[in-house]
Formats: sequence, C-alpha cells, structure tokens
Amino acid sequence: MKNSIKIFTLIIISLLLSSCYSVRLRSINGAYQPDPLLSRDDYYRGMEVVELDTVIKIDVVSKDFTYLIKETEACKSGKLHTVEFKNTFGGSLLSVFSFGKKRKLKVKYVCMKPTN
Amino acid sequence: MATTKTHHLKHWDTLHNNGPFKLKKLYITELEGDGIIPKKIDRYNDAVVEIQRLIKETFNANQGFRAYGSAWSLNHIAHHKDCMHYNGFMNIHMPIQPENLHSDTTFKAENLFLFQCGTTIKRISEVLSSHGKSLKTSGASNGQTIAGCISTGVHGSAFQVGSVQDYVVGLHLITGPNIEDNVYIEPESKAGLNDAFAQSISKKIIRDDAMFYAALVGLGSFGFIHGVVIEAEPRFLLNRYVRKIDKNVALQLADTLDFKNSPFKIPEETTPDGFGKTPYHYKVFINQYSDEPEYVVELMYKNAYKNDYKDPFPIIKQSLYMDLIHLFTKMAENWPKSIPWLIKRLEKSILPKVDEDLTGTLPEIFWDAPYQGGAFACSVGIDYTDSSKALKLLCDLTTKEGPIPGIFAMRFVKQTKATLGFTKFPVTCMLEIDGVLWKKTRKIMSFEAYCTRIIEVLKQNNIKFTQHWGKGSNWAYNGLVNYMYGNDTVNNWKAQRKKLLSPEMLHFFANDFLYETKLAADEPVIHPINPQNEDLIT
Repeated sequence: MKNSIKIFTLIIISLLLSSCYSVRLRSINGAYQPDPLLSRDDYYRGMEVVELDTVIKIDVVSKDFTYLIKETEACKSGKLHTVEFKNTFGGSLLSVFSFGKKRKLKVKYVCMKPTN
Repeated sequence: MATTKTHHLKHWDTLHNNGPFKLKKLYITELEGDGIIPKKIDRYNDAVVEIQRLIKETFNANQGFRAYGSAWSLNHIAHHKDCMHYNGFMNIHMPIQPENLHSDTTFKAENLFLFQCGTTIKRISEVLSSHGKSLKTSGASNGQTIAGCISTGVHGSAFQVGSVQDYVVGLHLITGPNIEDNVYIEPESKAGLNDAFAQSISKKIIRDDAMFYAALVGLGSFGFIHGVVIEAEPRFLLNRYVRKIDKNVALQLADTLDFKNSPFKIPEETTPDGFGKTPYHYKVFINQYSDEPEYVVELMYKNAYKNDYKDPFPIIKQSLYMDLIHLFTKMAENWPKSIPWLIKRLEKSILPKVDEDLTGTLPEIFWDAPYQGGAFACSVGIDYTDSSKALKLLCDLTTKEGPIPGIFAMRFVKQTKATLGFTKFPVTCMLEIDGVLWKKTRKIMSFEAYCTRIIEVLKQNNIKFTQHWGKGSNWAYNGLVNYMYGNDTVNNWKAQRKKLLSPEMLHFFANDFLYETKLAADEPVIHPINPQNEDLIT
C-alpha cells in the first residue's frame, strides 16, 4: 500500500514538473534594448525585460487573442527581440476547466534597441 | 535636444559581476528623435552639446567622469567612483562620402563609416552588411560598443589583421566642457577625412601620429570618445573547422604559425601543390587538467562572399545552463580537487564540437554570447614564438598551485600601432584563461593571488608579456605597466595625454584603474602646450 502511494506521488510530481516548461524565441538579428542598471542576474542580465503574468479572458465569440506590443519606456522600439513563454500546470488546469476562455499569460519579452 | 537621465546609485557592476564598485551618479543619455532633428549630423552634434553640459555639471561638482558602453570589461577599467556615463543609446552611423575624403588619402570612401560611441559590434556589422561590407575582425562576440572595444584593445584571432583598434581611421573626442574641447584626431601619415568633414563634427583637427596612436587605446582617459571612423572591407565568408590534433603539432603551429609546412592540414584548405593554406584565424583550446595527447583547435579560412551557403546557426554553440554553472562554482570553492573532474564533464559544453564544420560571415560566427553567470578572464600577450613555453608555465602554475576553475586558450593577433596596445609583438599570442568566478576559501587561493602569481611566474622566467586591459590582473602590481611596455612608451603615452587634455581634465577623465597602474599620477599638472603637428581650425 505504502509503495503504491509512493509511486502515485512520484507520477504526480513528474506530471507537475513536466507540465511546467518555458520556450524562448530570440531574433538572430538586431540588438536587445539594454538595461544599463544591470538589475537582473539571470539569462536576461543587461536586457530591459517586460514581464507579463496575468490571466486573459476570452469572450464566447472570440477564437483567439492577440496581445499587442506598444512603444513604452521599457520597449522603446515597439519591436520584439526575445520572447519567453512559460506554461505551468496551474495554467493548463485553468484553461481546461474554463473551456479555454481563461488563459494564463506568463511571458517575458525584450524589445529591440532603437537605432538612430 | 539629447536628454540625460540621472540615477543616484551606490554601486555599479560589470556585466560579468566583477564588482560591485562604488558609484555616485549614473548618467544615461538618449538622442533627440529624428522627427525633431531630421539630419543625422545635427543629432550627432546635438549630443556633443549634451555631453559637454554633463562634463561641466560634473566638473563643477568637483567630481570625475567616465563613459562606458556595454560593461563587458572583466575588471574596473570602465569604473569611476563619482560619475559614470552610459552611452549605449548613442548609436548614430554615417557612411563617409567621396567628397569627405582627404586629398592625400589612400582610403576608399565606400569602406569608411563614422559610428557614434555606443554602437555595438553587432549593430556595426548589420550596418556594414547592408552596404555589402564587413568588419575586418571582432572579438569572440558582438555586444561590445566600438568605443569600449578600442579603448581596451578587443581582439579576435586574426593574426594577419590585428585588433579592433587597428582599423580605426579617426577619433572624435570630447575633451572638456568648452565648445572648443571637441577634437577630431587622425594620424598624419594616414589621413582619412578632409577638413570640411572634420569641421562639421568637431572644432579642432589634430593630424599627429603620436597623438592618434596614444589615444587609440586610451583606456577611456583621453576624453569622451564620441565617434569613431573605421575602415571596413568587402563582406567575406569564413570556413570554420574544429579538429582534435596532436598537442605537439598544435603547439608547433602556435610557435611558428607555419601552416604551409605543418603535418596538420585541412584537406579542403590546401594549395594545388599540397601545402596547407594559412588560415585567417587559429585558436587552441587547452584543458590543463587533462592528460589527453590532443588539443582541440579552431581554424577559419577566408573566402569571397556568396549568397548560397548553409545556415550556420543550428551549430552555433549553445549556452550552458546557468544553475549548473552556479552549482559547479560552489563545488569548486569547497572542493577544489573536484575542478579537473568538473571541467572534464563540462568540456563538451565549453569547447566547440569537433568536426562540426560551418561557413558563415564574421558576425554570424562571432554571434551573441548570452550571460552565463559571474565570469573571470586573465589574458596575457606574449610573442607567439614564446607560446608553448608560456603555456607550460601557466598550466603548471594553475595545476600545481590551483586548481582554478577555468581553461586556457591561445589566440593570435597581428601587431598594433597603438602606443599601449597589448598586441605589441610582431604577432602576439593572447594566452587566456576563462572561467567562473570563485570566492577564496581555505582550500582555494583568491583570484587576486592567482593574478599576481601569473605576473611573477612570467617575470621569473623572463617571458616578455603584456596584459589585456579589459581582463583580470593585479593591476596595482608594482611597476607592471612600465615592465610590460617600457619607460619610453609609457612616458610617450602620458605625454600625449597631457598634450591633449587641460590639467583639470587630466584628473577629471582619470579613474582608480589609471592611478593604480601609475598611468595617472598625483603629480603637479603641467599646462598643456600646443601640439606641433596639428591643424587648428578655430
């Protein structure tokens, strides 16, 4: 009985871990918008990163959703250099139980450095 | 009008975490938009006004000033304890037109470009590619700014080309707060631009070899480098080969650079009579903890550009998982004896894959280098004929007194004309050890102690050497710079700096690095004299 519980727990942990992953897209060309304050210590050190962590709600008649990138202080060019999308187990559950109407949006993006 | 944001900070650090260093203010300047000032040259000159305003403000506050770009140097050369200026958003470029050329020049206008200080190597390559041109060489990656590259002597391994500073045609420097402190410098023996163009970006022209070559590798202390005129060349392709070859053959090649008569040949890169061709680039990777009889070597051969070549990006090196590096560093600090084992495990990720050949342009092959955690690098320049001797000495030091968490490599660079260029030998072998930063423990010596031992070992064995300005060393080592370059060279460099800058600006543009190396001294300042070989236009 104890062994079954252990195996079941292991399977659940494996599922949880494998359902949490990220995918990164990076442009070969162009330079990223720099972060002169070097405020990060991860892959994005030196880059001005915009992080989104929200739930988007899609109405019944909409098929998909487009998140628009606008020119801001953290995205001076309004053009993308790097995008990282993260999927989590919770995010997948949310989508399943809301029939796709609620979607977890956990994204990091870095914009192109403006050129003169 | 260009605008500047001021950040009041307590610390500043390099990209590779070689600090932190104390700081009071960080300035970040951005140019006016092209909707407000449409002409590039007007936006370029508008930036001069803003930089001179900042210099005046800082000087009036009795503080010092230093510009920097991508913060890629692995030491404190770019640091100033008072005010630092980030110039990464200052990236205008202007192709030089035939009517801008000096009447005596040998340069072709189509190869000359003016880049503003904060333009990165990657951006420069993109601009040049759109004109069908290429840089002649770059460092191993592309994130450095042009001003940072030349100030610290960034190099690749193009032993018939030189370093980044060696294709600079002219320098535009802001040397103080006054309108006239705005200078264009080029060598008298190789003038590039005419007075009319120089006047359009500066207030004073200096055509003087000694001044130009001193300011070229100026360590950030000859004023604010605002623009750099470089000479490009037609775009080309590089065929890259990575092979494992017998250690002795690899070292013989390092000591002689005689690829023609070497037993090692790349079959595709031989002459019709069967001799090996001389490559554009040669690099040797050395795991000093391995007893394997072979070294990994990287060779690149230059060819004319054509459109139809295989996409090289699928085999451009992948970055290591950062948490793994962190874990390995912690292991190295606590169990130094595990370092050789760790490096052996990492070898496949650190070194390029053997027999995976590719073809690409210079910017494709020397592409982005993602941040991989705190890093150190020590790099000594030696005459290439001393390559194997110096390598043995430093490998013995590292294995016997270490181990140290890094591995060695050798690259080769043609001689520079820059007064304090560390590639000063006819061909300089840059013998470097790169690795992950560690903290001193009872079991592993400090980084500073290791750097000191490198100097001591080379001196004790009478190996003439220099050190990469942008990498780690014990820069305060007594008499180090004079030992490396000789008193006359060092005095000449100092004299040119004194000639260019006012007594106040000599101190203003100096930093701790300069004082530690004794390149700036707390000596009574001498009032500048007018250079003999200059052309004043105001």
